[in-house]
Amino acid sequence: MDFRLTPDQDSLISAIDKLAEQFANKPTDFHGFALQGDDLDRELEEGSYFDIAQIPELGPLSAAMAVERLARLPFTAEIALSMLVRPHLSGEWPRPIAVVENGRPGRFVASAKTILVIDGDSIGIVQPPPDALEPVESLFAYPMGKLKTITKTTRLSDAEAANVRKWLRIALAAEASGLLQAAIASTIEHISLRKQFGRPLGTFQALRHRMAECAVLAGGVKWLALKAAGTADDGDAALAALHAQESATRVIYDVHQMLAAMGMTLEHPLHLWTYRLKALLSELGGRGGQATAVAEHCFAE
Amino acid sequence: MDFAWDVEQDTFRSTVRAFLAAHLPSDWEALAHGPGTELQSKFSKKFCGELAKAGLMVPHWPSRWGGRDADPWTAFILAEEMWEAGEPRGGQYMNVNWIGPTLMRFGSEEQQARYIPPMARGETIWCQGFSEPEAGSDLASLRTRAEKLDSTYRINGQKIWTSYAGHADTCFLLARTSPGKGGISIFLVPMDTPGIIVRQIPSLIGEGDIHEVFFDNVAVPHSALLGAEGQAWEIARTALSLERVGIPRFALATRMLHRAVKTLKKTNRFGLGAIEQAGKARAACEAARFYSYSIIDQRRHGVTAGPEASAARFATVMAERLVSEFVVEHVPEALSGGDSMLLAHHQRGIVAGIASGAAEIQLNLIATDFLKLPREPR
Repeated sequence: MDFRLTPDQDSLISAIDKLAEQFANKPTDFHGFALQGDDLDRELEEGSYFDIAQIPELGPLSAAMAVERLARLPFTAEIALSMLVRPHLSGEWPRPIAVVENGRPGRFVASAKTILVIDGDSIGIVQPPPDALEPVESLFAYPMGKLKTITKTTRLSDAEAANVRKWLRIALAAEASGLLQAAIASTIEHISLRKQFGRPLGTFQALRHRMAECAVLAGGVKWLALKAAGTADDGDAALAALHAQESATRVIYDVHQMLAAMGMTLEHPLHLWTYRLKALLSELGGRGGQATAVAEHCFAE
Repeated sequence: MDFAWDVEQDTFRSTVRAFLAAHLPSDWEALAHGPGTELQSKFSKKFCGELAKAGLMVPHWPSRWGGRDADPWTAFILAEEMWEAGEPRGGQYMNVNWIGPTLMRFGSEEQQARYIPPMARGETIWCQGFSEPEAGSDLASLRTRAEKLDSTYRINGQKIWTSYAGHADTCFLLARTSPGKGGISIFLVPMDTPGIIVRQIPSLIGEGDIHEVFFDNVAVPHSALLGAEGQAWEIARTALSLERVGIPRFALATRMLHRAVKTLKKTNRFGLGAIEQAGKARAACEAARFYSYSIIDQRRHGVTAGPEASAARFATVMAERLVSEFVVEHVPEALSGGDSMLLAHHQRGIVAGIASGAAEIQLNLIATDFLKLPREPR
């Protein structure tokens, strides 16, 4: 065990943070649901950041760190699956990558070049023709889309499907970790400044304790996501995704309570993180799906 | 960043496990129930003596004090394995974790020579005289008084919720030497000093665990003062920072969760509801584990943990609670004579959010020192 960053990881995180600076604030005139980071996507592509996991000195753990940091931005792009799942697909599959789970709309589906189609226990993969895709209006703060027609997919072998599912869980946990931290940071800023009864909201113990509990949950999600990326263990991946979805349900509610009406507006960026988290809640079978995976991999004996 | 154990760490863990396998009696699980009982206290002294002979009592202590200067990971692996086994060291884990190291840092030569070697040999039990009827989380309001006379301090007052006091040889006692927060001092008081009366408090935790301790004109020499008068706050802060992640509760909680699941599987009771709850509890245990590991990693690299230690403690409390609730809901027979280890775990878990500083105090610390929220008005 050694939790210090390697010099390579340190350099990577510095570079990511520098790149992210220009995307750190929501444009004041944006009042929508999905703040798409096309420029962010392009810069990551140009800097070959989507290949981090394949670089021996960096690997999937460093990629998870990058996903986690980039998920804190108000802008969103298809990052997690490209960085963490794509390296585990056999053959060359173009990005962006999206998941269609049991026929439902999914994140980034409308612009996806590769789609993983989850149908019960099986996973198929396809490069969809553009006319098979359609954007969908949604509260979720990702660009959502759906497959208009079911195109023929190549079914992954059971072993490959299990591996893909594992990395989808890790990607979900890493993304959720960044979202949770950003939502909490945004809330802390608000309750440190907003005064009621003559003092900042953040001085009231009833709120302080709830935010502290949220912070503990978010920190746990981060540790489990990084650990799963580091060990590539099926059980660790299931635990990370379960803790992410479980913690998100609690944190989303609390941060919206803290921001009250301000958090309902599209002027404030809170929804960009909380409604992304809500989109993640149902993925991969939701908490029941992750718990079943935990039972399979952690309680096998 | 690396999540794998190195060979030395793996070897050490195997050594500790082999020791436990060889030295825990076949009826250990029945014995493990009730850490303050006469039976377990007697066993723990014998066990700690054997542990010391095997070089496993205080490996992380300096060689001068019977250790081998092993790193904080060694100490924590030892703590994990012991707690997971049901803590056969009894109350002596406190000596190893924080009383010994605190004396090494703040004790006089005489105090060190008198108290540290018996700890390293596994021969002595200490109790912690902190809480009072009017001073729990608000420790600064304690009233037990130590009055300085010509050759002695005269101590009067009462402590409460004192673990292991019935079998303790020495008390790590907080007492007031002058008014105000800066007027608290620490005394090392032999429990056989005339004027000390110990009364057991029957409790949910188990027999012999918590006590009231009365000090009636107890006279101790000036040399019983640890550090300087009024230094208690500084010393206690150091001690508590070691204690906050001192008990790897997640280790036994994880083991007990697996045990409960095994019982459910055997009896075809591991259905969807239980699966979801067990998964959440297992994830919480793992989160607590890695929070705690992050503190140990900081220690390993010479960094004193700040508010992260409070976060680790709170994460551990949440994990302990989830496992305990899981057992109560799905394996309720454990609390009715069905499984002595699950019962022992449940009883120890009762104090998880209370002992060593209430969990809510940790939340205050996290809010102020980690989240940087403005302080509450006082």
